[in-house]
Amino acid sequence: MSQSYDRGLVEDFGRWREFSAGMWAWVLHKFTGWVLIGYLFTHIAVLSSALSGAATYTNTLQGLEQIAVVRVLEVGLLAVAVFHIMNGLRLLFVDLGVGLESQDRSFYASLILTGIIVVASVPVFLEGMF
Amino acid sequence: MSTQTPDSDDPQAERMARKEERADERESSTPDVGDDPITLKVFRYDPEVAEKQEPRFDTFHVPREPGVTVLDCLMFARDHYDSSLTFRHSCRQAVCGSDALFINGRQRLGCQTQVADLDNSDTVRVEPLPHRDVVKDLVVDMDHFYDQMDAVEPYFSPTEEPEGEQLQSRENREKIKMSTRCIWCGACMSSCNVAAGDNQYLGPAAINKAYRFYFDEREDEERQEERMKIIEQEHGVWRCQTQFSCTTVCPKDIPLTEHIQELKREAVKQNLKFW
Amino acid sequence: MAEQYSSFASGSTRWFLQRVTAAFLVVTLAFHFFLLHFYNHAPEITFQLSASHYDVPAYAVTMVLFLGAATFHGVNGVYNALVNQGVTGTPKRVAKWVLAVAGVLLFVQGIRVTLALMGGA
Repeated sequence: MSQSYDRGLVEDFGRWREFSAGMWAWVLHKFTGWVLIGYLFTHIAVLSSALSGAATYTNTLQGLEQIAVVRVLEVGLLAVAVFHIMNGLRLLFVDLGVGLESQDRSFYASLILTGIIVVASVPVFLEGMF
Repeated sequence: MSTQTPDSDDPQAERMARKEERADERESSTPDVGDDPITLKVFRYDPEVAEKQEPRFDTFHVPREPGVTVLDCLMFARDHYDSSLTFRHSCRQAVCGSDALFINGRQRLGCQTQVADLDNSDTVRVEPLPHRDVVKDLVVDMDHFYDQMDAVEPYFSPTEEPEGEQLQSRENREKIKMSTRCIWCGACMSSCNVAAGDNQYLGPAAINKAYRFYFDEREDEERQEERMKIIEQEHGVWRCQTQFSCTTVCPKDIPLTEHIQELKREAVKQNLKFW
Repeated sequence: MAEQYSSFASGSTRWFLQRVTAAFLVVTLAFHFFLLHFYNHAPEITFQLSASHYDVPAYAVTMVLFLGAATFHGVNGVYNALVNQGVTGTPKRVAKWVLAVAGVLLFVQGIRVTLALMGGA
């Protein structure tokens, strides 16, 4: 047969406007997952300053907390973690076979809950920055 | 085809001659598409034709009539404008599974999709199924799909033949009823991003087929275990990420994700039994 | 006998454990955030403060389980994402071993940090 035409993977992400709720959930869960595992390694690395003594630990952590970008990134981390938890709960229900008919609505609910929790936490997270 | 003289006694020859006349008329005349025609944009690709070696979209205007389907539009375009427009179709009633297409951004059957039901019923954009290699125009290579289906042994095969009749209870039939509706159209597999990435993933259609037989009470436990071994491989049920696209696009409304989830739970239960 | 053990390699165990660790992490991660950002405040961290948490034995146990669950869930998640993307053959085997080793190293380092904090309590 004559050769066939392969439209490639880029075509997939170019169609993001046509994504369904379930697809967004999958993409975002993956993305937040990568961020969180990356953070986990970084986190343990930073906490490893404890192995160099109490003063090193205290100075490292307080030093980081004073950098404005770090505080803002922490809010981002919260958003990422909260979404992963909310959608993760949704997935646990799906895995148990509960509520499959409203799986797309439960995705929107998890997005909204994530937004609410993050916005409510911003004051605490950015406290003392100004 | 030769044109036989219509004044012979052969009614078949007469009919063929008239048919060819009509076909010639259709191709040579400009069809009347009414004052509110549908704009049909179709993906064209033909490796054997110079102008179509790079894919392009051709635009056709087809008449808007009550109940007109996307398949009707394609057939009109082929009959009146461009007889080289190539697409699969057969039954026109959503049972053969031939005309699964990507219509206005979603996998659908051409014959089952009325233009009036689309969000945008003025412009209909038709493309071949995503994640499949395109052979020509809207025809895709379905070999991979059939390979995955064959991999789950999609046929009724109890270990021993029963004596006498083999009855199935009404409840059991109800349980597997939806899973028997599959028409092998390939829409689900085309919509699954995991199937697109992982070539070895069995895919929703194949796993649903396995479900249909796994839960059929007329097959024995030994057969069930064999079937489970196939689908609990690394590229079987575990690759499903519950994206739900398959369930959304299935033209026969089969709850595919639900069936895959049930098999995952079943696999875990079977394995926990060894503890 | 060998058949029984090989069934675990099928993927059902990792799938199941991913869900079990997920349920556990929902609770412990939420607790971790609450304790460190709302009850205590991040800019006020000192070694003494962190170490004082370990005065409660249950906290130490929870933290170790938390570390184990998070490491497994994360590393297994990355492995799954790669397989879904279509990584096969040698790259897949390499990825599996790199991830397994990285996971073990992460866990060990986490334990060392825990011990350092416990030692200072």
